[in-house]
Amino acid sequence: MHHLFIVMVIGGAIIWALTIGVLAYAGRTRPKPMSVRGASRLIVWGGVAFPVIVLFLLLSYAVWLMPQVRPWLPGAMDGTAEIEVTGEQFWWRILYLDQAGKPAFETANELHLPVGRRTTFRLKAADVIHSFWIPALGGKMDMIPGRDNTLSLEPTKAGIYRGPCAEFCGTSHALMAFSVVVMEEADYLAWRAARTQAPVAPQKTSGQELFFRHGCAACHAIAGTPAIGRIGPDLTAVGERQTLAAGTLSNTPDSMIRFIRDPASIKPGVKMPAFGMLPDGDIEAISAWLGGLK
Amino acid sequence: MSATDLPTFTDEERAGQEERLRKVWTTPSGWRYWTSVNNTEIGLWYGAAAFIFMLFAGLLGLMVRVQLAVPDNSFISADLFNQAFTLHGTIMMFLFAVPIFEAIAVYLLPSMLGTRELPFPRLSAFGFWSFAIGGVFVCGSIFFNAAPNTGWFMYPPLATDKEYSGIGADIWLLGLSFIEVASIAAAVELIVGIMKCRAPGMRINMMPLFAWYLLIVAGMILFAFPPLIAGDILFEMERMFDWPFFDAARGGDPLLWQHLFWIFGHPEVYIIFLPAIAIMAMVVPTFSQRPIVGYSWIVLAAVGTGFLSFGLWVHHMFATGLPQMSLAFFSAASEAVAIPTGVQIFVFIATMLAGRVIFSVPMLFGAGGLAIFVIGGLTGVMVALVPFDWQAHDTYFIVAHLHYVLIGGMLFPVVAGIYYYYPLLDGKKLSDRFGKVAFWLMFVGFNVAFFPMHFSGLRGMPRRVFTYPAGIGWDWFNMISTIGAFVFAFGVGVVVIDVVRPKRKQPRCEQNPWNAGTLEFISEPEEKWGVRSVPIITSRYPAWDQPDLIANMKAGRYYLPDSPMGERETLVTTVLDARPVQCLRVGGTSIVTMVAAAALGGVFIALTFHWWWITIACAIVTLGAILTWLWTGTAIIPETQDYDVGLGLKLPVYASGPDSVGWWAMFITMVGDGTAYASLIFGYFFYWTIHEDFTGGHAGPGAFWPMAALVLFVLAWLLMLAARSLNKANRIRATQGVLVLSTVLTVAGCGAGLAGPYLYSMDPTLFVYPAIVWVVAIWTVVHGAVAVIMQLYCLARSLSGRMTARYDMDLVNVVLYWHFMVITAVTSFAVIGLFPLLR
Amino acid sequence: MKWLREIETFWTLFTAPTVWALHFLICYVAFAVFCAKQGALALSFDTVRLALGGVTVVALGVIVLSAWLAWRQWGFGTDDPPHDAPTDEDRRKFQGFATLLLAGLSFVAVLYVSVPLLFIGACQS
Repeated sequence: MHHLFIVMVIGGAIIWALTIGVLAYAGRTRPKPMSVRGASRLIVWGGVAFPVIVLFLLLSYAVWLMPQVRPWLPGAMDGTAEIEVTGEQFWWRILYLDQAGKPAFETANELHLPVGRRTTFRLKAADVIHSFWIPALGGKMDMIPGRDNTLSLEPTKAGIYRGPCAEFCGTSHALMAFSVVVMEEADYLAWRAARTQAPVAPQKTSGQELFFRHGCAACHAIAGTPAIGRIGPDLTAVGERQTLAAGTLSNTPDSMIRFIRDPASIKPGVKMPAFGMLPDGDIEAISAWLGGLK
Repeated sequence: MSATDLPTFTDEERAGQEERLRKVWTTPSGWRYWTSVNNTEIGLWYGAAAFIFMLFAGLLGLMVRVQLAVPDNSFISADLFNQAFTLHGTIMMFLFAVPIFEAIAVYLLPSMLGTRELPFPRLSAFGFWSFAIGGVFVCGSIFFNAAPNTGWFMYPPLATDKEYSGIGADIWLLGLSFIEVASIAAAVELIVGIMKCRAPGMRINMMPLFAWYLLIVAGMILFAFPPLIAGDILFEMERMFDWPFFDAARGGDPLLWQHLFWIFGHPEVYIIFLPAIAIMAMVVPTFSQRPIVGYSWIVLAAVGTGFLSFGLWVHHMFATGLPQMSLAFFSAASEAVAIPTGVQIFVFIATMLAGRVIFSVPMLFGAGGLAIFVIGGLTGVMVALVPFDWQAHDTYFIVAHLHYVLIGGMLFPVVAGIYYYYPLLDGKKLSDRFGKVAFWLMFVGFNVAFFPMHFSGLRGMPRRVFTYPAGIGWDWFNMISTIGAFVFAFGVGVVVIDVVRPKRKQPRCEQNPWNAGTLEFISEPEEKWGVRSVPIITSRYPAWDQPDLIANMKAGRYYLPDSPMGERETLVTTVLDARPVQCLRVGGTSIVTMVAAAALGGVFIALTFHWWWITIACAIVTLGAILTWLWTGTAIIPETQDYDVGLGLKLPVYASGPDSVGWWAMFITMVGDGTAYASLIFGYFFYWTIHEDFTGGHAGPGAFWPMAALVLFVLAWLLMLAARSLNKANRIRATQGVLVLSTVLTVAGCGAGLAGPYLYSMDPTLFVYPAIVWVVAIWTVVHGAVAVIMQLYCLARSLSGRMTARYDMDLVNVVLYWHFMVITAVTSFAVIGLFPLLR
Repeated sequence: MKWLREIETFWTLFTAPTVWALHFLICYVAFAVFCAKQGALALSFDTVRLALGGVTVVALGVIVLSAWLAWRQWGFGTDDPPHDAPTDEDRRKFQGFATLLLAGLSFVAVLYVSVPLLFIGACQS
């Protein structure tokens, strides 16, 4: 893929320079015009023979490359996958699956992947078309309502990456991204294991009590608590995430407070209602509690 | 024919001829000016309107650029941004790029082909008014915060979500459907005009290349626009009546829209590009001072591109998860289309090499456009390769690519054309100095604006984002792009100033100011007759090779130098060798076209707001206007059979069947209509492929009623054939009787066609299968209803003595309609009645 | 069918590209239906691939035939372009030459479209 790009850029630059060079030469005043026969020969060689051959080679190379870039995987045909990602306006529901393909645990807006191994994704859309894309790891795949698409990616370097939604999906399409944490296999397995274990109830605080009293649990789930809402993003260990509001805000207490108070001012068209009517103290307590979930 | 054989008229005779011609072709004054149907007026209005829409869309583009200049900007709201980029794309494609070429073609073609008029001037006028009304409707929506906001591609389910898209999506669908009607009207006009109305002697190997290109482009419109119209129908049915064509929960599929949209959308790119290259094919030989080198190669390129462009549509869908095999087929065709595109560039270079080039402003824009376009072409080759496109798709890399293609391949050549052809408007040249300043501002500004987008795209910036975070490597590229966009806009502004600045004091230039070899500069701004007399052509570049041609034309020494009957007349010639076969009388100034367009506009606008009664009222007015137009303006029995067209040639004034232009217009229209229908049938089978059981367990229309309808339609068709024969045999009473019988059978067929889905209580809102069956049935029945109107029209013409055994054009054309009607009916009822049994 | 006769030589211009279009359509539809209905069809991927290889050969054959007819119409290249004289003969030669060029382009385009048949071995997306 990388090679293909280099070949195309360098080849393209040379072809452009040659063509425009000839054009510039043709536009100048010359002592004697070229013969029609000579000019016709230019059409045949420059306009026909050369492109036919170059394009044929390029096409063959690229078509040969397709199954290399997106290799045939057993999971791709029968729909088994390791992670199911669903695009929703304007966030990502992420469901980790176990060996049997059953849901293991859910999270949102942040993927954890192992390095050096191919991970298969099942991609869905809940409302409109979105597109799943981690530029640093590979090409994109659309998420289309009614169709389950499969994609596999193989990260080669640990690190933190950003993935934007690549298909226009409504007012806040620009504010729909997710973070990707690529970790060593051992770390990844440990992270998975921690998530899969029977969750430990978080420490009880006034923030937690307010979270339930103000109805947050109707839409959000938090493992280890009675919160099992499925409408909005899962907030288990939200304090640990890189960003808030699907890649829109850095994960700080202040961002959390701003978002709870008036989500639409940050993310127009968001489905979450504003909670500006709550006392400031309540919002701060809820944010503090959520920020502490790790 | 040598000059000595040509007649010579005395000054008095010539003055008389000119006076009569002038009277016949005059443009009315006062408000009635707007009822003119002359190709020069229509072309000018069309072009000016398209240009104004372009400037408006350009302003929207600048708004978008300002918003993106810096990260986290709040210059405009997310929603306004989404409306702005949607309208920017929509207007540029539908209200500028396609119409501007229709404008140029309507303006230039008659004189270029050495003829007086295109065959259907009133149709051109109707097309223009439809375009103008629809365009204002679509553009105006943004001032009411009601513009479409789902992207110019209108992907469902976002665009079918009424809460999100509001009325904007309806405005897009209905407003543009209306404009598509205008485009198809233009396609009919251009195809018939180019094939049948060339000057005598202008064989197909001598046609100006502009005409070759436009012939191909008009043909492409005929196959590219109808699938979008079919898609629009499905889309509106979902939005208005909740028929679930694109709703996955009820068996629909958003991908069907993507297929239909891009089957239109990709040929569209070439529909825009080829006419611009056609202008270059006229400009380059003129300024190289020699005939084009590789005429046949250009024909190859135009025809080849026309075909290949229909095998590219899925390259807009490389990331949708279709099988790799499907993607690769489209990737291959996308690479192949680069070959004819390259050929054209080399033909221009070869012509320049073999000539002596005068580097004028039009050439500057042409060559600059080519330099830009080649970059767009090369990035096009890159994104047509699937592995690269998975990365680049829907990023700013594509934004850069498409602007390089469209601005280099279309806008620059169009500006070249404005500088080249401006003298036709009022005999004055545009300024060289302004032109050069404009060029450099546009050229530099364009590259500064769009080249950095390649990098922001490669760095992962998706398209259609109203903002982006700071610090992820996109900031500077966007800032530079915005600066470039303003420089570019200034360049366009200079062109506008040059065009509108008063030129009263400027001396008049020569009539053929660039010494072009083709005939378009023969048309004088003051004379509305197009050509003074219709010449005999013996060269590809008659103005160079036929020395006395222009003088003789002006002296009225060729065909049709006079208009003794006070009719607007032009010649019809054969397709290949352009031998004169008929003297055609074309429609003159009339308000009926405007009324028809306004009423049809009313239908579409009222539908947008669900004003059902107004819709019906407007539909009735439209029908009335069209019938009046036909009744008073077509198939008129002439005063004489053999009409003297000059040079001792006598030609019929009335022709029917394939000899007549009306027959061709019907044929071409029905090909477009058939394409839309084929798209609906494609939809039917598309649902079959994506579902295990595509009926979803819902009842079908049964076999009996569809078969009954099929038989009734076939019988009605047979009776129409009989009516045609009886009429030819001068058995008028029998003809009328058979027409009545056929009409009754058609009505019965329509009833039977709807009876199947109705009696089996198919509810189209429950699942996609009943919905698609209903749509196919309704499409067919609506065509049946149109057939009934036509049958009654023929009956009325016969009863009023306007249709006779000899003058039977109405009936022959209606029978042609019936050929398509019977194919539609048989296919529809066989598919909906029998296919569910087979599967 | 007088009108058909009049333009019959006009239509021959489009023969080769039409063959390309048919070949393209057959390839695309065959795999679209096969991949969507794999379960219901008793066909293997390679059978379809091979069949389409056969279609490709036929398509190329028809294009070569149309090229030969065009070559004949062009007078077997006895006369060079531009073919711009106002005679029936030059008009026919122009048609022959243009048709020949289109046959060449269509031949190449059919070859391009058959490349995926060589390299892609599964219905996977």
